Amino acid sequence: MNQIVLIVVLPLLAAFLVPIVARMSASLGAALGPLVMGVCLWITGTVAIESAGNAFAINIGGFMPPLGITFFVDRLALLFAFLTALLVLVLWPFQGEHRPREHALTLILAAASGGLALSGDLFNIYVFYELVSVASFGLVATGRRSSAPAIRYLILSGFGSVLALVGIALVYTQTGTLNLAHLSQLAPTHLINPIGLAAFALILLGVGVKAELFPVNTWVPEVYATAPNRVSALLAGLVSKLAALVILRLLVLVFAQEQALLVMLLLGLLGVITGELAAWRAQDMNRMLAYSSIGQLGMVFVAFSIPGETGVFAGLAIALHHLVVKPALFLLAARWGGALSGLAGAAGGNLPAALLFTLFALSLVGVPPLPGFWAKLLLVMGLAEQVGPLYHFALAGILIATVVEANYLFRIVSTLFHRDSPASPAPQKHSGGDIATAGLFGASLIAAVLLLIPLSQSLKTIAQQTADAAAYRAVVTLAPTTSTLGDTQ
Amino acid sequence: MTLFGLEITLDLILYTGAFGLIVIGAAGIVLAHHLFRVILALAIAEAGANLLLVLSGYRWDAIAPILSGSESAAPMVDPVPQAMVLTAIVIGVGVQALAVGLAMQVKKTYGTLDMSAIRQRLEADIAGTAGIATTGSQDAPLGERPLPPADAVPVTPGSSAR
Repeated sequence: MNQIVLIVVLPLLAAFLVPIVARMSASLGAALGPLVMGVCLWITGTVAIESAGNAFAINIGGFMPPLGITFFVDRLALLFAFLTALLVLVLWPFQGEHRPREHALTLILAAASGGLALSGDLFNIYVFYELVSVASFGLVATGRRSSAPAIRYLILSGFGSVLALVGIALVYTQTGTLNLAHLSQLAPTHLINPIGLAAFALILLGVGVKAELFPVNTWVPEVYATAPNRVSALLAGLVSKLAALVILRLLVLVFAQEQALLVMLLLGLLGVITGELAAWRAQDMNRMLAYSSIGQLGMVFVAFSIPGETGVFAGLAIALHHLVVKPALFLLAARWGGALSGLAGAAGGNLPAALLFTLFALSLVGVPPLPGFWAKLLLVMGLAEQVGPLYHFALAGILIATVVEANYLFRIVSTLFHRDSPASPAPQKHSGGDIATAGLFGASLIAAVLLLIPLSQSLKTIAQQTADAAAYRAVVTLAPTTSTLGDTQ
Repeated sequence: MTLFGLEITLDLILYTGAFGLIVIGAAGIVLAHHLFRVILALAIAEAGANLLLVLSGYRWDAIAPILSGSESAAPMVDPVPQAMVLTAIVIGVGVQALAVGLAMQVKKTYGTLDMSAIRQRLEADIAGTAGIATTGSQDAPLGERPLPPADAVPVTPGSSAR
């Protein structure tokens, strides 16, 4: 089962091979990336079957934790590793001319995302996070007009990394370790204090830049409006979820204190309210989708702030739903990127796209029986079970945000199906590839409706395993003495 | 020597310095107008974080953590933060190089490195691509808004809500 390491190694290797191979044979260079991602998908699948849901840890190089590099592989990690490979493959830039640089950056993004999903140690999380950052700056900058958004994104993200690094330094001064299992052991005595809370807040703000967390998400609208739509789809669909995954792991294992949950609840709720209101006001499709993405990620954070398994379950459901819906919407926005009022009657020229848009809009708002409804229901029920005014306040906030969301999404749907022939020229038709890919996402959404019960059951098992910090500690065997050097196996 | 009841040690000075660098960097990022200064401010903040990380594992009475054949009884400095700082420095250099490269691209596209000018052009650019009127129609006071022509019919039922 150690072959799971390959999902980090192979794309990284391929990323550096692509430009060389492409120089020798263009078609081979273009095929290398998708091929490697396919292999990663296959490896993740076989490991998932082999491990049968039991968590295991890999100590790379045979160094026992807390020294050395630990990969922790449980259902959640495998799920996200699988989704990373799948989403990168589905959103692969097949169309247009072959650009090796873009392929290399996408492969680096895939490798680092896999690393984020598997990493069992705080510093590796930092390194993979930086790798994801650099790859996404490069990908954003491939757009024709996106150098300015890319550099503004880089500066915010760079400062976020500084904050995260200070947070990690604080954790290290308190505990003297960075291994998540070891930290989880030491946390009750060393980190449940104001310094631990400060460290959590710093790491939350740092990693939150990618997760579109409330105060550090100013890059979102401008990047999503100017970057190529496939890149926006990857960033909104995948990278933000992986950042949220990191925060979830830290919250469950290391910073399981009430104040940390409250900080997250508050920031998440502010994200929901500001994001949905800004989306309501937005006048063009890309920025509306960007703001709505902030709102959805805010809901994920609100869900994660519910203690225990309920919160993890609800948060994962919303995150996975968003992971399916938002990339598809960004693909549809590729040709509908203009002003929203210019879309009047667009359904006449392109019915499949309009129907898909309607399906995703209904699911985002949460109309039963679509998956978005069940995800939101889990969140609302989880919030209602909690005692404390802030949770009930959040519940009200989420419901109001849903009304706002319904208002602006249905406004667009009614514009699309507007009868009168529009005065402005009709928007361009979508390229076949975009429609086909969006159709694939739509089909998986419908499939999720049909397979609702088995899906929710397996998601519940994943949530149970994730929320169980003691099980995590039991899987990672720590070396008996931790103070001496050269403690190799 | 004491100040405000705090004994001034080398440690205290260094920790203050590290946090000071981070604060200077943050202030620079927020306040500087020139893009290159913002990038430099980011570098200063990173230096502060790195210094903090080194300090977290440093001991004044210890030797460098290098194992030579002969075992020595002297305590060693914690090597983990030093390894981390090395990694962080390398990452920082990479990000800064990328930032400077992007800054050159920005200069080519927009002809300026002034942050507020870039931001304004960016907003106008996004709005222009999307085909929206730019002149602050959302934020201008109501009275200054040009009235729509009398024969204008709302294009969509939703747009009349604004």
